[in-house]
Amino acid sequence: MIEKIKNHTISYDESVENAINKIKKIDPKIKACISTPVVNGKDGMLKGIPFAVKDNMEVVGTRTTCASKILENYVSPYTATAVQKILDKGATLVAKTNMDEFAMGASTEYSAFFTTKNPLDPERVPGGSSGGSAAAVASGMVPFALGSDTGGSIRQPASFCGLVGYKPTYGLVSRYGLVAFASSLDQIGPITQNVRDAALIGEIIFGRDPKDSTTVEKNLSLLKEIENSIKNFKFAVPKEFVRDLNPDVKKIFEESIDRFKKMDVKIEEVSIPSLKYSVAVYYIIAPAEASSNLARYDGIRYGLSVEGKSIDEVYMKTKDEGFGREVKRRIMIGTFTLSATYYDAYFDKAQRTRAKIVDEMNKIFNSYDAIIGPTTPNVAFKIGQLSSPLEYYLQDIYTIPANLAGLPAVSLPMGKIGNMPVGLQIMCKRFEDDKMLRIARNYEKVSQR
Amino acid sequence: MKSVIGLEIHAQLLTETKAFCSCKIDVNARPNTNICPVCTGQPGALPVLNEKVVEFAIRSGLALNCKIHQRSSFDRKNYFYPDLPKGYQITQYFHPIATEGYINLDNGKKVRIRRIHIEEDAGKMIHSTENITESKESLIDFNRCGVPLIEIVTEPDMEAPLEAKEFMEKLRDILRTIDVCSGNMEEGALRCDANVSVIDDNGRSSSRVEVKNINSFRYVQYALEYEIDRISQSLKEGKDVKHETRGWDFVTRTTVSLRSKEEENDYRYFPEPDLPVLEVSNDLIEKIKNTLPELPDQKAERYVKTFGISDYNAKILSRDRLLSTYFESTISAGVDPKDGANWIVNDLLGLFNADSAEFDPKKVPVDTLKILVDYTNSSKISRLSAKEVMSEVYKSGRNPDDIIKERNLIQVSDEKSLIPVIKKVIEGNPAVVDQYRKGKTSVIGFFVGNVMKETKGKADPKAVGELVKKALDGKI
Repeated sequence: MIEKIKNHTISYDESVENAINKIKKIDPKIKACISTPVVNGKDGMLKGIPFAVKDNMEVVGTRTTCASKILENYVSPYTATAVQKILDKGATLVAKTNMDEFAMGASTEYSAFFTTKNPLDPERVPGGSSGGSAAAVASGMVPFALGSDTGGSIRQPASFCGLVGYKPTYGLVSRYGLVAFASSLDQIGPITQNVRDAALIGEIIFGRDPKDSTTVEKNLSLLKEIENSIKNFKFAVPKEFVRDLNPDVKKIFEESIDRFKKMDVKIEEVSIPSLKYSVAVYYIIAPAEASSNLARYDGIRYGLSVEGKSIDEVYMKTKDEGFGREVKRRIMIGTFTLSATYYDAYFDKAQRTRAKIVDEMNKIFNSYDAIIGPTTPNVAFKIGQLSSPLEYYLQDIYTIPANLAGLPAVSLPMGKIGNMPVGLQIMCKRFEDDKMLRIARNYEKVSQR
Repeated sequence: MKSVIGLEIHAQLLTETKAFCSCKIDVNARPNTNICPVCTGQPGALPVLNEKVVEFAIRSGLALNCKIHQRSSFDRKNYFYPDLPKGYQITQYFHPIATEGYINLDNGKKVRIRRIHIEEDAGKMIHSTENITESKESLIDFNRCGVPLIEIVTEPDMEAPLEAKEFMEKLRDILRTIDVCSGNMEEGALRCDANVSVIDDNGRSSSRVEVKNINSFRYVQYALEYEIDRISQSLKEGKDVKHETRGWDFVTRTTVSLRSKEEENDYRYFPEPDLPVLEVSNDLIEKIKNTLPELPDQKAERYVKTFGISDYNAKILSRDRLLSTYFESTISAGVDPKDGANWIVNDLLGLFNADSAEFDPKKVPVDTLKILVDYTNSSKISRLSAKEVMSEVYKSGRNPDDIIKERNLIQVSDEKSLIPVIKKVIEGNPAVVDQYRKGKTSVIGFFVGNVMKETKGKADPKAVGELVKKALDGKI
């Protein structure tokens, strides 16, 4: 994409029209899009570039469903800051993409509407929850799409679809207009074909937003920085990430370690003991915040509203009909862990353990430039293959720590098992997104050769 | 029997915009006109703290002798109600901005303030019937949603309904003096929930009962009196006092059960992830401290010390800033402070109280008060006439001199006009003159009264008294 921008080889009409036509042609099979509104941006460097956003980002005048029945007909009254920044650079929105309902899932199977197919193998899931965005990019409908990542929802689908998925440091990108799942973990980021595009979009969407108090201003020149060498860098590979790894994935990961070594990078195995608690901590904190964030869908002001004889009945019927099983499950878990009786045993303990994870990871960054490992324990699974919630939750085992610690993390293609790709994950210290993408870019260059 | 009372007060802050969005605050606006994605809980909207709210909360904390915390944080209080669009209220549960303050009552008792925290108001609901359970239709106005509040929680340091009322009045006076809250309970700008329990003579304590919906200062007293009676009666009869929340019904002047504690919500408090920790610098706290106006108690003390007025008058005059400014202006205009204080407290405020109106300095301007005090002191008009004139000015805003002229209120004090009348009265009552001669000086009053009668009250009693004495002593 960035080459095309630089050479001015695509015109606005052609490219947007192409995208619209491709969506018309391909999407009935892939099912990446929930709606296909066309929203033109202003004039700017991205003029003529089509893009897609996950359907949990507000774009004024478009439906923003979060793949949920409860918001099926909700029309956004305003536009998310990150989306606005891209529109301001001239790009044209052509699709709002499928996802697991309220971003709770790792396959798009929990979408209330339909499951998106992995463009590389339609029998497999594209990953999730930003599966629609990944599938739209992987199938060539759009050169880039925005996703959101709460526990791996950008990186895991990128890994499953052979793409670059970049979750910026928490606080770099405004969450204003991103429908909240777990506010302390959610972050918007791009899914792209290559690292340079990810850096380009990252730079555009960064910045302090007066409408999001958790954002900060950092001057990061990603595009400039990423072309520098990574000679003499030192990486840490947590034992906890490779201990029980699937042998096929392990083999590919070892190959990528070799590639890095050839670039004069020193790689050492380390132990981050608290990492073993990250899934447990995540599945307490994320549902707790979600149970509160999703309380607003009550059938009173907007969205689905089911009539009842009393106000309590309106609430119960609306939520019962409007939310899917997984969303209900997490709301119930969150309501339980926040209840007065269990707060100390669950939520408070999880918060304290989270602080310990943050601490242990930060200590690693005192001696290492990055933590690397596979993005996912395996390649994309088949639709319907994972049946128990626990199996499902373990999908996020490698991606969750970055969200808990607010770190930047990126997944990029590391190799293939058969026809299916698997991703390499790189994590760096908070606000070292430039360094992280620099590592990714260096890896991308050698792996493409 | 002894009662134990603690209060939880919500005060609406007088900021121009809401606590977490930039919507205007205007009680007179048409319903649902001052709203936005943030205060109506649209998906994806985020709160941004209004700095003025922090400043107002700090100002309140300082005025209430609290410790201000340089680090405090926000939390979510989760519950479902249609006037609460997000399904949670943003509040400060774990780490409030201010703690450990107090207000001193007039009886010398210190009522401790446990904490002050910032939170947001909910919307306003109108039901087609009494309450939401029976209502077929309910309307919601979100204009009030997100209006900043401070919640002030006291320790259970009050023992009588009157103490609670006095606490509320003092709190109102302070909040008004520092310009953070209008203090109007009837309009809901200041709201009070009372927690009360009763300890019997054997030291046995009843359960704590919370009384809500108290919407005036008088009702603070009445509601607590009723509730303490009710609980004491139950204790005497050996009946169980339920740990519950009751509502004050000002029509029947009783409290009614709203819900038992078992039915109470579990609010599932947890830290608000959308707002960072609130850090305030020592500089800011000092800056606010330095701009605090003189508070009512300090002012009263100064009035007693510098003007020599009574404690009682000083307390009343220092309560309200409009009133104290008025009082001080009369002194600047040359009125003797004691005179000014008496006139304002006894006469002027009486006029406003009779109308249940708020004090308004424009009704009887400082100049008018000065004229009336001067005229009375120089006996140009009687005290009674002056009061009459003041009342007329209050009602009509007319010029006091015009009223005096029109009503012919100028007192007769010149000897030339008075001596003939006095002589006539003395001559007409030889028996009484005789009593005087025998040493009964109190009969002077009798003669003065008769002179006043003769002059239809226009004579200056002081001048008459002196002349009567002279005449009786044969000096005229």
